[in-house]
Amino acid sequence: MSAPVLVRNLAKAFYDEGRGEIKAVDSISFECHEGEIFGLLGANGAGKTTTLRMLSTILAPTSGTATIMGHDVVHDPEGVRKNLGFYSATTALYPRLTTRETIEFFARINQYPSKRVPERVEYLIHRFGLEKYADARIEKLSSGMKQKVSVARTVAHDPAILIFDEPTVGLDVLNALDVQETIGELRAEGKTIIFSTHIMSEAERLCDRIAIIHGGQILATDTLAGLREITGQHYLEDIFVLFVKAGQETV
Amino acid sequence: MNWELIRLLFLHEARMLVRARRTVVMAIVLPAIIMPLMLYAQKYSADRRERLLTGTIYRYAITGEFADRVRLLIDQTRKSLSDAQDDEFGRLRQFRFVETAPADVRASLAKHEIQFYIETITGGEADKSRNEASNTQEAEPRRLRGVPVINVVYSGDRIASDVAHSRMLELLRLARQRDSLALLAGRGVAADAKDIFAVEDANVATAGQITGSLVGRFLTLFLVMMMLTGGAVAAMDIIAGEKERGTLETLLTSAAGRQEIVAAKQLAITSVALVITLLQGLNFFLYVRLKVVALPKNFELQLPTGMALALLLLFIPLAATIGSVLLMISAYAKTYKEAQMYFFPVYLISLVPSLASVMPGISLRSAIALVPVANVSVAAREILMGRPDVMMIGITFAVMSITAAYLMRASARLLSREDIIVPAHFEAAEFLGGAALFQKRVLRWFALMWVVTFAVALNVPVLATFRRQLLFNEIVVMMGATVLILKVYRLNPIEMLSLRPVRPVVWIAILFAIPSSYLTTLGVFQLVNTVMPAPQQLLERFAEDVIPKGMPTWQLLLYIALLPAVCEELAFRGILLNGLRRKLRPAGLILGIGLIFGLFHVMLYRIAPTAVLGIILTAIALMTGSVLPGMLLHAGNNAMGVVLGNDLNLYVLRWWHFLAAFTIFGLSLFIIYRNRTPLPTR
Repeated sequence: MSAPVLVRNLAKAFYDEGRGEIKAVDSISFECHEGEIFGLLGANGAGKTTTLRMLSTILAPTSGTATIMGHDVVHDPEGVRKNLGFYSATTALYPRLTTRETIEFFARINQYPSKRVPERVEYLIHRFGLEKYADARIEKLSSGMKQKVSVARTVAHDPAILIFDEPTVGLDVLNALDVQETIGELRAEGKTIIFSTHIMSEAERLCDRIAIIHGGQILATDTLAGLREITGQHYLEDIFVLFVKAGQETV
Repeated sequence: MNWELIRLLFLHEARMLVRARRTVVMAIVLPAIIMPLMLYAQKYSADRRERLLTGTIYRYAITGEFADRVRLLIDQTRKSLSDAQDDEFGRLRQFRFVETAPADVRASLAKHEIQFYIETITGGEADKSRNEASNTQEAEPRRLRGVPVINVVYSGDRIASDVAHSRMLELLRLARQRDSLALLAGRGVAADAKDIFAVEDANVATAGQITGSLVGRFLTLFLVMMMLTGGAVAAMDIIAGEKERGTLETLLTSAAGRQEIVAAKQLAITSVALVITLLQGLNFFLYVRLKVVALPKNFELQLPTGMALALLLLFIPLAATIGSVLLMISAYAKTYKEAQMYFFPVYLISLVPSLASVMPGISLRSAIALVPVANVSVAAREILMGRPDVMMIGITFAVMSITAAYLMRASARLLSREDIIVPAHFEAAEFLGGAALFQKRVLRWFALMWVVTFAVALNVPVLATFRRQLLFNEIVVMMGATVLILKVYRLNPIEMLSLRPVRPVVWIAILFAIPSSYLTTLGVFQLVNTVMPAPQQLLERFAEDVIPKGMPTWQLLLYIALLPAVCEELAFRGILLNGLRRKLRPAGLILGIGLIFGLFHVMLYRIAPTAVLGIILTAIALMTGSVLPGMLLHAGNNAMGVVLGNDLNLYVLRWWHFLAAFTIFGLSLFIIYRNRTPLPTR
């Protein structure tokens, strides 16, 4: 059986009259294994979000292919999204819905079996400790609570693949740790997770394998131990800088 | 299409809208209460007018040498009025005048103690003051020498004074007539005007038709206003609001397809517009049929069920059309605030076609049936007047349905565009400046140029002459802005003005296209004129405006042919076309630039013909990738207008002349198309 996430020579170019063609993602390839957290580590503007938006079918790739649980992102986008939960700092919640309504809506819209929706909603409310706020409107919740509801709506339809695009951006330390902990638990439940970040400590703590992305290209992919061995550096920050500098020299 | 998903999304959108207070207020509460409020206000104002008419006592004074004589005349006339009891002077009879005797009538009028005063002036005094007036060159009143004057002095800035003085004038004229009849009778000539012939009137329209005509004139305008305001709040929340909050991206990552998401959003907005329409229908039923509130006097609207359904049938595609337009505005905007900014001009422009029913003499059996929204407006008036034209209503419905379907498709396409739905990745343009920023700003420049053209034409008398206005528009506005844009955004003039050579055969095709396009346009004009005749006065004015009399031909050719061809082509087919080229598809570019070109030709009746010319010129510029062939065609077309002008007798030309011209023109375009060297578009 092929890997749950398979990316081959994926590229995305935008046209800009001033700068001409901009290659936001330049022919990248990687695959994620079942039950692992695959980290995309890169600075701002490296191409992480564009890659993940292509995987979630928001953007169409200029060339290359990608499949999620065997569904092609271009030819079967609905099939991809049914198997995918996408979470990012820019995916917000409907402020006028309650917690319960939010989870229920996303379970139904993602075509989770209709009869099992109420049971799933109750499970997730309990799982994320949202009982007290189940019938409160999202606009009334604290940012920590909103974060929890956001994760709950991401997994509402119990997808096999989860994408977390810089999930801790803008969160305080405690809420960030909470999110990291939840991601770890989801891996333990057998989910395949793609986790993008520019925070080295997060990648060190969470990721089973890390891909270093810069200028739209993947410069290296390996486990943390593997990366340490290749570079002879201990800290991920040093490893990252080394690859980026080497990449720039190549250019 | 997954209908279950659409249902789910639609219910979700509806729930969101119902939970937003401002949407509920604008889309449900306001439309629900506005009609009873208007009916109540109209009744209140009519009642108040009636009360004022009968209840107010108007005070006045009489001064001058023959005040007693005037006093007697007024008394006699009022007495004869109250004795006669006929309808002719009923309004005059209801007025209550009381004479007072203030010491200083002027001061009393100034202090609002009296509403007016009557100044009686003898013939001698009046002649004397006329002589003085003629020295100061004041206008001379039409009065024979020695005839005395009764002058009613009032204060026109006060309604009570104005109304009272009008009534008193009416009374005095009646008194004068009766007095002269009495004089004649005293000399043995008994004559009463009423004995010569009676004047009566008979209105063949029923009260229902009169009310229908009044309500029908404003019904569509009123509904469009309601749909636009209520629908806009919903549309902004549904797309721009979702973008701003970040919920659109969340929705896009769900298993729902874009088609389903767009369909549900469109359904939601159309539903809001329909709810507004149905609320008005319910209002009609409650207040006009069941008469839940007291209606104004003579307000009688007859609307059989069949006609009410016909109206509703026309309003459904109208609601869908407005819904799509609002969705598109909302989609273009990144934020709620930006959507509000776009909304206002669209709101004003959208109201224009719904004013068709207010214009006199427009019937649905004309070309208006083909103009979306305007046709519904005229059809609604005819239905409410009880004179429905079933065939034309059918055509109106078909035109509106096609419009709605086209706009729904366009908005669905728009919402599928990555740059529209995903938070912009081109923000860098703001920092980069140059060509990147030029693309973003080009429409703003043309909006500014349009405002300047209009503002100057209306407000600067120095530039009001034909020559000066043309020089200002072409040299200052068109050329000035072109040069400024090139400079500000550091653009390459050759590239941005499309100054590219074309294949020689294109020039030959253009030479054939000049006379044939001129005749084709005339043919189209003739055709439109037979369907919807333009008033002769308008046509003459049109010819005069375009070609002023008494100007040498070489000057006319310079001002009308050469100057606009060069300046306008560089601005529209150069700058504007290159600015929008990457943003729109060819069809959108051709129509859009054609329309903008039309809008720049200030006078309303010149918009359509110039827009057609603009469409042709844009199509040629797109096909050739050059501004030069269009320049020649533009100059040639205008030059033909100058040279032939009024001398060309259209009635000599037969249909085959036009057909031949049309064929040659079509062939010329075909040759240009076959030898095309286009610039890339979106």
